[in-house]
Amino acid sequence: MESLIKDLSEAYGPSGEETLVRTLLEDLIKEHVDRTFTDNLGNLFALREGPAPLLMVSAHMDEIGVIVTHIDEKGFIRLAPVGGLLPHLLVGQRLRFKDGTVGTVYHEKLKEIKELDWSKLYLDIGAESAAAARKRVEVGDLACLHQPFAVLGERYLGKAMDDRAGCAILLEVARRLPPELPRSVCFVFSVQEEVGLRGAITAAYRLNPGYGLAVDVTRVGDTPEAPLMDIALGKGPAIKVKDSSMISHPRVRGFMIDTAVAAGIPYQLEVLERGGTDAGAIHVSREGVPSGTLSIPCRYVHTPSEMVDAGDVRHAAALLEKLCATPWP
Amino acid sequence: MDEKALQEVLMELSRTAGVSGQEGDAVAVASRCLQPFVTKVERDRFGNLIAFKQGEETSDPPFSLVLAAHIDEIGAMVTKVDESGFLRFTGIGGIDPRVLLGQAVEVHGRNRLKGVIGALAPHLLTEKERQKELKMEELYIDIGFDEAQATEQVRVGDFVSLAQAPLAMQAGGCISGKSLDNRAGVAALIVCAAELAGVRHRCNVYFTATLQEEVGLRGAITAAYGLVPDLAIAVDVTHGEWPGLSYPEVFELGKGPAIGLGPNFHPALTRSLEDSARENRFPYQVEPVPGVSGTDAWVFQVSREGIPTALLSVPLRYMHTPVELLNLDDLLNAGRLLAVFARRLDRPFVEGLKCI
Repeated sequence: MESLIKDLSEAYGPSGEETLVRTLLEDLIKEHVDRTFTDNLGNLFALREGPAPLLMVSAHMDEIGVIVTHIDEKGFIRLAPVGGLLPHLLVGQRLRFKDGTVGTVYHEKLKEIKELDWSKLYLDIGAESAAAARKRVEVGDLACLHQPFAVLGERYLGKAMDDRAGCAILLEVARRLPPELPRSVCFVFSVQEEVGLRGAITAAYRLNPGYGLAVDVTRVGDTPEAPLMDIALGKGPAIKVKDSSMISHPRVRGFMIDTAVAAGIPYQLEVLERGGTDAGAIHVSREGVPSGTLSIPCRYVHTPSEMVDAGDVRHAAALLEKLCATPWP
Repeated sequence: MDEKALQEVLMELSRTAGVSGQEGDAVAVASRCLQPFVTKVERDRFGNLIAFKQGEETSDPPFSLVLAAHIDEIGAMVTKVDESGFLRFTGIGGIDPRVLLGQAVEVHGRNRLKGVIGALAPHLLTEKERQKELKMEELYIDIGFDEAQATEQVRVGDFVSLAQAPLAMQAGGCISGKSLDNRAGVAALIVCAAELAGVRHRCNVYFTATLQEEVGLRGAITAAYGLVPDLAIAVDVTHGEWPGLSYPEVFELGKGPAIGLGPNFHPALTRSLEDSARENRFPYQVEPVPGVSGTDAWVFQVSREGIPTALLSVPLRYMHTPVELLNLDDLLNAGRLLAVFARRLDRPFVEGLKCI
């Protein structure tokens, strides 16, 4: 899965501009499913047909990024965040637009670093004037972080592991599934998760699934002086109990645990105090959808260098494969 | 239903655990109490309790009224079993760490375990420490076990409920306890169902105990979508009188339930609720809600194509603490008001709601 995660991680796709990621995913998944289709918001669906009820498995395509709010007369560009991005993480970072235009972020003169906020940041794309800048970038354009993927021993480092690691797992599982399934499975690559689970709202409404699963990253508590969280990198994927968007359905959570135990797949139990996933939208769709979330432990979530463990990714794929291929209680 | 019977129902509901996400026991109690008065009781796909009472309207389709009270309560969830067997936890719903100190709790692990949230003895605190703000992450639950036993019994993600037993106070009608927000509303639904038993009403009535209100009105979202009612009334609690605060921030206990007024509520529906109260000489108060009501009414109003919605609230002091306090008279009056309102509902009124 390494090269797949590399390609997906490096692809451009901030919330609202997921086209390039969607094209990449659709090309890779279409030969492994019965059909693919998209909806009005840009969600990508990859359906494996089988008996009802349908299992919806969702990973979001979008990543955090920035939007251009203003271009000054000298061609410097002002920014606002799209999704949960802290301004101090961007100082000295490179950003990339859809057409490949790259720039670097710095800040105005500051007395103290804590004065830093979005109004003090600007992006420099090397343009000498507003006119030159506007040939490449316009107000409303979206940029993503510009960071190459790296393999650090058993760990992967890159931007947008949230949630391209999840997308890679869905794709890998789609490749591995047997010809006959106990029920329909629809892999959904959703848009606009980072700005409020928006793609998943319409995707779940359309599919009207019997069960829902999100595959997404979660935070860890295994770094120096980290906030309390009983999740570590390399101890297996996490089965979510609760986050701010959902309390997992006890039957779904129980089935996920039983399945992991039966297959000898290591897992951790996750209580995430802040954050949500597509399952938060799926589980209150229509009359309610029993849902759960399979999480990939990830360090430095929402920074330019998100880190996941290769073993956790492999085990998450193995568990998701079992969950798709086993009849649910 | 008289005050004595209501007191028993409310105290049983209060005593029962039902933290958001684990409401099963509380739902079982409510289900048993509603059963004798309704046509059928079931749970929807999300787990909301729906007690259906058939009306006499024969038109097709019949029209229906949803009375919704959330049954979940605030609580906590284990986030870590630490090296000494102490449990670290996070809040579920808007729980205030200041009121957790010195509380008894129940940990819903492999077995139900009694626990306490201890505080360091004042002897051991410096003056500065005593004045410090209290944070949830500094609190822990002591279940008396060492790490090995604790790990055997408790896992990350286990629910924790407050263990405060309800108190029937000497002052007439006053009850104090945990989770009266919103077992009070559920009890009002039971009063209403009892009042409607054996009397004629045209509308179908769905007595609905919703789940997971305290974490984002989630049960009400799916209940409203599934039931597609012609109108809905959320029954919840509001803030009781408190020295230094005055109406309309707080409401007097014993002066009747409060009818919500504001953009969240259909004006003709609230007017009709007020008319029902006046005509039957039920005491009531009026609660201006300028914006988000933060109740099930908020999501009912915009479900599907929109549902005319109202809010009836029981005044209660010390909301989101283990010693919430209310007056049973307000509950009885809330339940009776809902019943007379349900009885006067007819199709012309329901049709009339469609154009304000």
